[in-house]
Amino acid sequence: MKTIFRLFSITLCAIALFSSCDKIESDNYIVFSGAEGEWYSGNGVSDKSQRALIEKYTGVRCVNCPVADTAINTAVGQYGDKLIAIAIHDSSSFTLPFGSNPRLSTPDGQAWSLFFGVRSAAMYPNALVSRTSTGGTWDLFTPTSGINSRVDNVLSQPAQVAIDVNATRLDNSISITADIELLQNISDKMTLTLLIMEDSINATQLMPDGSRNNEYIHNHILRDVITDIWGTDIDCNGTAGEKKMATFSYSEFDNTWILDNCHIVAFVSMKDSRTILNVAECEID
Amino acid sequence: MNRRSRTIFTASLLLGLQSITIGSLNAQGILGGSVTGNVQFDGQLSRRDSVIGSSDVPEKLLSNARADILYTNGNFSAGLRYEAYLNPMLGFNSQYTGQGIANYFVSYKTQTFAVTAGHFYEQFGNGMTLRAYEDRYLGLDNAIRGLNVMYRPTNGITLKALAGQQRYYWDTRGLVRGLDAEFSLNDIVKPWNESKTRLTLGGSFVSKYEDDETIPADISGFKLNLPKNVGAASVRMDLAHGGFGLQAEYAHKGQDPTVMNDFIYKNGEALWVSASYSQKGLSANIQAKRVDNMGFKSVRSVTGEMLYINYTPAITKQHTYAFLSMYPYATQSTGEMGLQADFMYKFKKETLLGGKYGTDLHFNASLITGLDTTRIGGKGTDGYSSSFFGTGDTYYGDLSLEIAKKINSKVKLTATYGYVLFNPIVEGHQGEMHHNHVAIADLTWKINRKNVLRFEAEWMGSDSKYDPNVDDKRAGDWIMGLVEYNFTSAWFVSISDQYAYNDGIGNYYNISVGYTHNATRLQIGYGKQREGIICIGGVCRQVPASNGLTFSLTTSF
Repeated sequence: MKTIFRLFSITLCAIALFSSCDKIESDNYIVFSGAEGEWYSGNGVSDKSQRALIEKYTGVRCVNCPVADTAINTAVGQYGDKLIAIAIHDSSSFTLPFGSNPRLSTPDGQAWSLFFGVRSAAMYPNALVSRTSTGGTWDLFTPTSGINSRVDNVLSQPAQVAIDVNATRLDNSISITADIELLQNISDKMTLTLLIMEDSINATQLMPDGSRNNEYIHNHILRDVITDIWGTDIDCNGTAGEKKMATFSYSEFDNTWILDNCHIVAFVSMKDSRTILNVAECEID
Repeated sequence: MNRRSRTIFTASLLLGLQSITIGSLNAQGILGGSVTGNVQFDGQLSRRDSVIGSSDVPEKLLSNARADILYTNGNFSAGLRYEAYLNPMLGFNSQYTGQGIANYFVSYKTQTFAVTAGHFYEQFGNGMTLRAYEDRYLGLDNAIRGLNVMYRPTNGITLKALAGQQRYYWDTRGLVRGLDAEFSLNDIVKPWNESKTRLTLGGSFVSKYEDDETIPADISGFKLNLPKNVGAASVRMDLAHGGFGLQAEYAHKGQDPTVMNDFIYKNGEALWVSASYSQKGLSANIQAKRVDNMGFKSVRSVTGEMLYINYTPAITKQHTYAFLSMYPYATQSTGEMGLQADFMYKFKKETLLGGKYGTDLHFNASLITGLDTTRIGGKGTDGYSSSFFGTGDTYYGDLSLEIAKKINSKVKLTATYGYVLFNPIVEGHQGEMHHNHVAIADLTWKINRKNVLRFEAEWMGSDSKYDPNVDDKRAGDWIMGLVEYNFTSAWFVSISDQYAYNDGIGNYYNISVGYTHNATRLQIGYGKQREGIICIGGVCRQVPASNGLTFSLTTSF
């Protein structure tokens, strides 16, 4: 009988031990999803040029991803500041880190990957340029080729919105200011999305020949979406010439990030279609 | 694994499989082991029929195929399953489209120890915390790919541990970990070894891990603070004394906001109790259950039949006759209470009611209701509170009385009366409660040893009427006739027709021919299939209307 009691007690203890799952207190069921910023009348944007954003869905276990990195770096070299690149690691098996390397995935990146169909397609690398779509289908492509035609297509269109972003590092936070200037009348709602990216992250990468490159340097890595992943509403009435500005405070950075290697990307997108109208990037001063 | 890699992997394994199969046939086994398996191929051609609502199939031919291969050598076994959905038959999820190795494993089993790596199926207790299983007719496969270990340290104690990811069509998702312990006290305690009273206790714990994701709250600028680790635990007992039996299981689940429960944070719980008595010629069973927010999936934002970690036992009868099963009950994992009674009695031979051959009587009744709940809020709240013993709307009820009697040495008659109460809300739409009366006569005439004729006549009277806005093609009053002829022990032919003679639409005829030779069976059918749902054990899938040819080939070796 003692044996039974002991075994059953051990089992119950094991169950109790393993039962210590996440418990969320009722006053914490919902949390602030991202900086919303306060919108004011702005001073306008001096650089009114059109820029494109290439967002690459990638992974450290994706053998073709280094090829895409090379192709994107070449394109960024060609287009200069007219093309801004970001690299997103979702939570697919391709993003599982080697050894003790940090995982570069983010929940926000995973949410985008699921939304744009990258995760379900299970094709890596995969990319979008300024989140364009055709007939309701996102223009996902393998960014080892075909980048230029898509970027040219975006850059050939006149800018509807001009955007500028600046970031300053304070003691425990980053202060970000975004300036928006409407260059055309836009009746539909727009949102502003802010991202924090990090360059020069050393993490092992699987290479095209199947080998592991322990010295691989990952750039443009999405660390966090500062606003809500679908952006914060831009408080404007949609009239050409309208100038707005907003300031944001961000303090959610992780102590493993090297802020000197971080920069901010800001983009304006249509709230319903998600298409990106324009994008800007800045260092953190 | 991306699609290209999977295709290469599939091709490699198929080549390997072919070699193994040929090898086994030629060499009477591989390395002293044996290879067994089975193959199933189902095909369907369907054409448009505006009355029943079927559409033309662009591919002309739809097919589901599978081949299970098992290699066994002593305590070691390994297996794989090739599946092909080119393209999936009507009613099966289009995400199955494709072909490849869907399941593979290696296993080593002894009396006291077992380990399986790869895909496996497992159940803890009644499955209220974990049931990884497959039902090919529902298009459901919740196999776990990972590691499963069983250990019996001493007679009467069984411990299980597992970890892995669940199958999601051609992918795997989620992360599931589980522990289970079962103690057969009569085997452990020596003085109880010979006792007529048998008692088994058990407990299990299962948890899932999921990354955070952004799910907007109803308040702009806020999102849900999601638990990454969600656990469910249960305790169970099985008590038997002579013909009496009492089984019970209680399960509790932690906060698990999912798309199934509209992202509320209420804990889940479920209680299932079954009491039974049996002796020669008589059996009685009563079951009760209460389920409250107990849907448990490994991915919080996925809907549909896949990725369920647990299973809530169904306590409604699995009817086989067409009209009694026309409105099957789908278990409501978000909340329900139920009660079922089942009684079987055999009137002995040479008695007033038994006659010359005896008479079998089978009575079953069940009633399922919703919970008595009080709303607290929506997404990002506790959702609702519920009274443990309070009941809500009636969801489903049925009773059936079946009498089976052998008229003479060659003729057997089974007569059934059934009553079904069905609330359309369990299928997710509003509408009036349906009340259906069903009468069935099933007569089997064994002409001789190799020739058997079976006649079946069914009638269903319902207060439901076909409404084009709702388009429930099951509504109305129906009659059905079926003739089935089995001859030469190998062939059978069956002709049936279901006709909505009042307040309904549709005339569903079917002709079916089958041939069985050793372990191979071929069946070809032509006819119309009514739109509806099929449920097995309370788990259901939608069946769209179809009109055309179906065929099925199964074989094993």
